[in-house]
Amino acid sequence: MKIAVALKQVPTRDALLRLSESKSWIEERDVSFEVNEPDAYALEEALQLKEKHGGEVVVCSLGPPRVQQAIKEALAKGADRAIHFEDTQFTQLDANGTATVLSKVLESERPDLVLTGLQSDDLGYAQTGVILAERLGYPHATIVMEIQIDGEKLRVKRELEAGWFQWVSMPLPALLTIQSGINKPRYASLRGIMQAKSKPISKVTAGELGLGSEDLSPKQNIVRLYVPERKSNTEFLQGSAQQMAAQLVDKLRNEARVL
Amino acid sequence: MTISRETLEADVVIVGAGPAGLACALRLAQLGADSKGRGAASSLDPENVYVLEKAAEIGAHCLSGAVLDPRSLAELIPDFLKAGAPLTPVSKDSVHYFTRHRSFRLPLTPPFLRNHGNYVVSLNRLAKWLGQKTEQAGVSLFAGFAATELLVEDGRVVGVRTDDKGIDRKGKPKSNYQPGYDLRAKVVVLAEGVRGSLTKQLIKQFGLEAGNNPQTYAVGVKELWEIPQGRLRAGEVIHTAGWPLASRQFGGGFLYGLSEKEVSLGLVAGLDYEDPRFDSQEAFQRFKTHPFVRKLLEGGQMIRYGAKAIPEGGYFSLLPTAVEGALTIGDTAGFLNSQRLKGIHLAIKTGMLAAETIFEAHSADDFSLARLSQFEKRWRESWVHQELWKVRNYHQGFEGGFWQGILHTALQMVTGGRGLRARYPSEPGHLRLKKLSEALPRNPELKADGKLTFDKLHDIYHSGTAHEEDQPPHLRIGDFDICNDRCTREYGNPCQHFCPASVYEMETSPDGSRRLKLNPSNCVHCKTCDIMDPYQIIDWVCPEGGGGPRFEGL
Repeated sequence: MKIAVALKQVPTRDALLRLSESKSWIEERDVSFEVNEPDAYALEEALQLKEKHGGEVVVCSLGPPRVQQAIKEALAKGADRAIHFEDTQFTQLDANGTATVLSKVLESERPDLVLTGLQSDDLGYAQTGVILAERLGYPHATIVMEIQIDGEKLRVKRELEAGWFQWVSMPLPALLTIQSGINKPRYASLRGIMQAKSKPISKVTAGELGLGSEDLSPKQNIVRLYVPERKSNTEFLQGSAQQMAAQLVDKLRNEARVL
Repeated sequence: MTISRETLEADVVIVGAGPAGLACALRLAQLGADSKGRGAASSLDPENVYVLEKAAEIGAHCLSGAVLDPRSLAELIPDFLKAGAPLTPVSKDSVHYFTRHRSFRLPLTPPFLRNHGNYVVSLNRLAKWLGQKTEQAGVSLFAGFAATELLVEDGRVVGVRTDDKGIDRKGKPKSNYQPGYDLRAKVVVLAEGVRGSLTKQLIKQFGLEAGNNPQTYAVGVKELWEIPQGRLRAGEVIHTAGWPLASRQFGGGFLYGLSEKEVSLGLVAGLDYEDPRFDSQEAFQRFKTHPFVRKLLEGGQMIRYGAKAIPEGGYFSLLPTAVEGALTIGDTAGFLNSQRLKGIHLAIKTGMLAAETIFEAHSADDFSLARLSQFEKRWRESWVHQELWKVRNYHQGFEGGFWQGILHTALQMVTGGRGLRARYPSEPGHLRLKKLSEALPRNPELKADGKLTFDKLHDIYHSGTAHEEDQPPHLRIGDFDICNDRCTREYGNPCQHFCPASVYEMETSPDGSRRLKLNPSNCVHCKTCDIMDPYQIIDWVCPEGGGGPRFEGL
């Protein structure tokens, strides 16, 4: 079974972000990056499926040279090889662009299963996976919490709202977007890190895929990035304890929407 | 539980990827490549040089002021500027004496604080850059792996054990548990930085400190700020003495222009102060309210925060640098010139000299103590010794306070470093802590304004610190009863003040008694607690590799 995993490298959680001069992206200097959290779960799921069913795990990542770090980490954990999509034309692609680029290689790789994270921690579009499925002509399921494979058949558990789940069946090949928490990701081992040095990483550019700037022109642009403006305000509730409790519940439910 | 561990064999294991460890690894790779170029049959393969780093990324735990004397970097990488080293040439120097409201500029900068030809650096950025060079040279760098134990057999260091990963709070393995490795090596190089935990084990097992002055320390607390252009020149270096430190305290402030918009500023305070309620983070916040500093920062934005201890003892506090199977280099051995406020150049140089010693030992296939002791000889014959010898009594001269220190320094300068006697003694800083009953009344607490001054929690957030939450605490307290009773009465629990990251908190329980609560995930790995605790019952051990601060730009 051949499993492809799409990995994105994003700023570390809690990274202190500064806006870039253009105000449409962040200043990347002095920011450290890590594997997008749900993608790390997707990788772990792929490695566990490989351990169960055999086959190979191919990691795909798109981005500048720093992405190599994420790729090496995946190889150290047990992925077999990697494809690094690196080209100045690939900077700041929208989800459609990224999916287009990935699909060009995956069309010829024809993996049995493609796993991506549910969404990226930086942009949070949750689109790349589903567009990629469409481009590949694969069925897909999103927010996956469990995977069962029986021969050519795939059964997955999707997370719905409010503690509800849904089981979906589909044929292979397929694409799944993975929810964080589906498993417990392993650590890279020392031996794994050393073995990763000899695993192949193929680099792919836009030209090699026959993609021009037209194919990659974004359908979606970031107009402005800004730090949320903080508005704090204090309100005192009036009345008896009972009335205040009722008002509080109402506010939590309908204004703060936390209940 | 019996743990089966995998054993790996390396030629050299270097613990810590700071300037010392990286310089050692890079120099080994260079020497290997040179001799291979000359056609040597069996040469040292850089792949068999393992560097372990507890931070998730190389440089993430590296913090310093810092002004770099490029002497050793130029020896290691002669074209360092062309090769893109992240350095800002020093453009201007000044020293100021602060009182609460005023500042007096010294008409002359003392020679040891003249920095013409040096560079303002972020040690984090420099280490990152050095790390790339080292990796490109073929060395095996392992970030996210802590060395937690020295392996000693028959009186010889034979390797290190790496951290067990995936252990829960109670010490039970989780589903992703991965036991640490036993890495065996012909020689282990300890480059852990100040107060290294394996170095502590080495000192204990090999009885290393006997005959020397005890090591003395300071703690540096700093922030990186973005400020409006035009207030400070790129490469401008300002040092301050005096307020907010008391005249009996060792230390001072610094402001370094990393660029026209970036200023690195901090306060260094000797960890030999008397007031058990002294708090370096708070003192640093006060420092920023001085009109001189406020004027520079106002309207700017704090970007990062961090803290780190500094070995100040100097020549007479140095560890023996070679034992059976191991060498100590850089801060971990105590290589720091506290008069010039510089250690990075000594870290790099001792790393290189250790590498040269190891390379020779490898070529001769002789790693005996006699052979490894060549390292001691090498640095004693180098400028490292010359530089440290000249200031051998400097820090001790300040044990009587700032003004006495100035007098001793002047005397020492005209007597080639000697001063009043051949060796000024020193005592461990924690012994100088006074009991609450003897301490002077305290300053009213500083109220952080959230713009210029910050409380600890706000600052810690800006250190980027994160640890796996579900793991055993990495601060081992010998006896909680001392904390909750005796220390409360005698010293008022100084841990809650000296920790610049709020790891130690006194909590009032429902029955009204006060108990120590630990927040290990806040820890910025500065080691102050291990040093300053008056009862010496805090043992700082490495948490799971990959955890800790992210000192980007510091």
